[in-house]
Amino acid sequence: MTTYVPVAETEARQEPGAPHYLNVTHGFRSWALTLDHKRIGLMYLIGTVASFLIGGLLALLIRVHLWKPEGAIFDPELYNQVFTLHGVFMVFFFIIPAIPAALGNFVLPMMLGAKDVALPRLNLASFYLWLCGLVLATIAIIFGGVDTGWTFYTPYSIQTPTAVIWMGLGIFMVGFSSIFTGLNFVVTTHKLRAPGLTWFRMPLFIWAVYSTSLLQILATPVLGITLLLLVFERVYGIGIFDPKMGGDPVLFQHFFWFYSHPAVYIMILPAMGVISEVISVHCRKPVFGYRMVAFSSLAIAVISFLVWGHHMFTSGQSEWAMMAFSFLTFFVGIPSAIKEFNWVATVWQGSVALTTPMLYALVFLIIFAIGGLTGIFLATLSVNIHLHMTYYVVAHFHYVMMGSTAIAFFAGVHHWWPKMFGVMYSEAWAKLSCLLIFVGFNLTFLPQFIMGSQGQIRRYATYLERWTPYHQASTVGAVILGVGFAIMVAYLLHSLLGVRKARRNEWGGVTLEWDSPSPPPLENFERPPVVTREVYDYSVLNPKS
Amino acid sequence: MSAHSAHAEAHGHAPGAPVLVTHHHVSTVAILTKVFLTLVILTIITVGVSQVDFGSANMVIAMLVAAVKAALVMTFFMHLRYDTAINNIFILSSFAFLALLFVFTLTDFSTRKAVNPIHAKRAPIAEPDTHYLWKTPRTKEHKHE
Amino acid sequence: MHTPQEAGGHGAGHDAHHHGVVVPAPPGFVPHVVAHHFDTAEAEFSADKLAMWLFLATEVLLFGGLFAAYFYYHGVYPETFKVGGHQLNWRLGALNTLILLFSSYTMAMGVRAAQLSQKALMQKMLGITVLCGLGFLVVKYFEYAAKVSHGLVPARWFSDHDHVMAGVENGHLFFNFYWTMTAIHGLHVLIGMLLILWVMKGGAKGRFYGGYYLPVDLVGLYWHLVDLIWIFLFPLLYLVP
Repeated sequence: MTTYVPVAETEARQEPGAPHYLNVTHGFRSWALTLDHKRIGLMYLIGTVASFLIGGLLALLIRVHLWKPEGAIFDPELYNQVFTLHGVFMVFFFIIPAIPAALGNFVLPMMLGAKDVALPRLNLASFYLWLCGLVLATIAIIFGGVDTGWTFYTPYSIQTPTAVIWMGLGIFMVGFSSIFTGLNFVVTTHKLRAPGLTWFRMPLFIWAVYSTSLLQILATPVLGITLLLLVFERVYGIGIFDPKMGGDPVLFQHFFWFYSHPAVYIMILPAMGVISEVISVHCRKPVFGYRMVAFSSLAIAVISFLVWGHHMFTSGQSEWAMMAFSFLTFFVGIPSAIKEFNWVATVWQGSVALTTPMLYALVFLIIFAIGGLTGIFLATLSVNIHLHMTYYVVAHFHYVMMGSTAIAFFAGVHHWWPKMFGVMYSEAWAKLSCLLIFVGFNLTFLPQFIMGSQGQIRRYATYLERWTPYHQASTVGAVILGVGFAIMVAYLLHSLLGVRKARRNEWGGVTLEWDSPSPPPLENFERPPVVTREVYDYSVLNPKS
Repeated sequence: MSAHSAHAEAHGHAPGAPVLVTHHHVSTVAILTKVFLTLVILTIITVGVSQVDFGSANMVIAMLVAAVKAALVMTFFMHLRYDTAINNIFILSSFAFLALLFVFTLTDFSTRKAVNPIHAKRAPIAEPDTHYLWKTPRTKEHKHE
Repeated sequence: MHTPQEAGGHGAGHDAHHHGVVVPAPPGFVPHVVAHHFDTAEAEFSADKLAMWLFLATEVLLFGGLFAAYFYYHGVYPETFKVGGHQLNWRLGALNTLILLFSSYTMAMGVRAAQLSQKALMQKMLGITVLCGLGFLVVKYFEYAAKVSHGLVPARWFSDHDHVMAGVENGHLFFNFYWTMTAIHGLHVLIGMLLILWVMKGGAKGRFYGGYYLPVDLVGLYWHLVDLIWIFLFPLLYLVP
């Protein structure tokens, strides 16, 4: 195509009072009963970020507690509850829904050129299921908390007097919310693509969310039945996971990780999609090896089902199963490395604009490389026996979950913020906050790699004197991280005052969502979009001076 | 079901006649009845076979017959034969991924004793206090070394 | 992305889109209005049907977890499962199998009637299906009552006062599987019956005809899946191999 989008159009800002999805209707009911994917996405955004702040606050408390070897704040029982709640909130209420349900809901239908997701009512129902889950989790906290860790391993989760039933039911609900969101996105991707938007013209974010959705559909039901059995176990003692009654707790771990290993890819895959979008737009280059990046998402989705046993190397699994799982785990490295290399190749000789989203993307590239490579050691059976249940594992998955997924989430939030609200935040404050987060994050978790490899066991409320410097460095890092996030919340909220209006195409992107005003109207587009070009074809935009 | 006729019918403004008969595939009564009768016969076979002792082959036969019955229900009652490829792929892949759960958990269970015979001692797992594996004679063996 | 106006002929003159496309209905039926974000009735049909199949895939995996656990413990305690299976009345199990198979047959006939706009026949077939579901639950009730009278109830209250499971270890495990699997299945039967009744309510108003029989079809798929699961449960629980 040789048609150019006129500069005036990409630079246009919404006229005051123009109707868009935020102001088209007012009042509580117009939000509570909305079927608009953008409003539902926004509600998810508020909910997940709130969960993130709660989980983050708990993390800060944990780190402050670990300032002293004997523990500074909690007694050990309370400490167990605090780290469990941190895990549950971060995993089930923040990371899993954050990118697909919040950003995905907003962006995916727009990228496809659709007016809405395929099943808008189901979409709203998913949100309410998520909310019900949150309410049940809150009830669990009120009725005694949970101290099992976020993995709910039996037999302890059967014996503990804490509120495992409420929490189990809450996560059951959240699980089905996740299933229905995934289902909705798969159907939307199959059935509601704009004319001309073939599979290989789809932005990579869609490929990533599509792969994630397949995982959500195929893995989450097993978590559902596992938690249901756990609830039955506690209510009327079915004995399936209880060794005292002839059950096998290792089977619980099999079931749990059949879901929860794919679940870590439910967390990281959409993050990889965000990074593909952000890097492409802010480097003004098509993603290098588009098809390989697209297929690597699907490959990760499939391989993730073959490797769950690597969480159980010290659980009494059979040696043959462990060898198979260890061997298969290495294969995850291939598609992940394809992505990492292709992103780096995309940045290479690109017209890099060091905007806030791009800075977050670069942070992702560094941290994900560390997180991914340390995973290779953990996949190695013999090394894993040594490192299992140490801070090394904690550091590894925080590098992947927090340092990669959460960072990508914030890259996405900053990237689509102007589209969502039609306003721009202060880039100066945003860059400062990004720097603090990068420094704080590494200061928090690098020492954990070291002390973990030296044998510091995780999940204990106290520790030996010799680990004090590492723990204190980690705590200082956590505080810096906290300050970084506090600044972020402040400038993002401030931006909503509308001091700086965002342009229609704030960053010069060419995916379909930028073809709509900021913020978009109710049914997303002024005219039904038709795609006539290949994906990431930046030649249509007039080069900026 | 050609896409063309679907398009024409679905568009209200086409001066189309009311849609009395769907353009999708309609099963004949004969097919549905035959499938039902086959299912009944297979149920009788299931019951009959279970009364004879074939050893471990009983499980295989029972599951094979059940699989044939399930396939019949899906192919004809659920119209999968006339449905789109993608619907077929998704439902069949759910069985494939379920197979993964089966294969790996059962591999773990059936090979636990293969390398380390100490795992054979897990049988009295139901007795109180012995289910903690590492309290069993393993420590003695280590001392012996 | 840029959208050339001239290529958008497809969308031209579709102001009616905001209110949805109408599928003309024969006399006596209520015309269906397609949801606003779909261009055609066929798009809506295929999207919702894909969604239903995906949901059924999740059901397969949900029950699949239970089946995996069953096979696992069947391997650990083969005797327990064998003796336990003999305590169940396979005649009642076989009767229930036939009832469910027949209900699947009538359900398929009901969908066929909907496809041909045969309202009375559809209502009749769906009615028979619901009655079959009810019959299934009644038989189940008598089975459950018999088990309760022998003390073969879920673990915490498992008493086995007739000592039928005395000779095998962890006799309660088989019955825990029996109760858990049949109860979750029974819940699905109940939900399926309510869904069919809901479809019949719409059917009575003439909502379903050749041009729009989607809800009948989807509820039918759900009902067949419930049947499908029972096809595996029956030999595994009543005729333990």
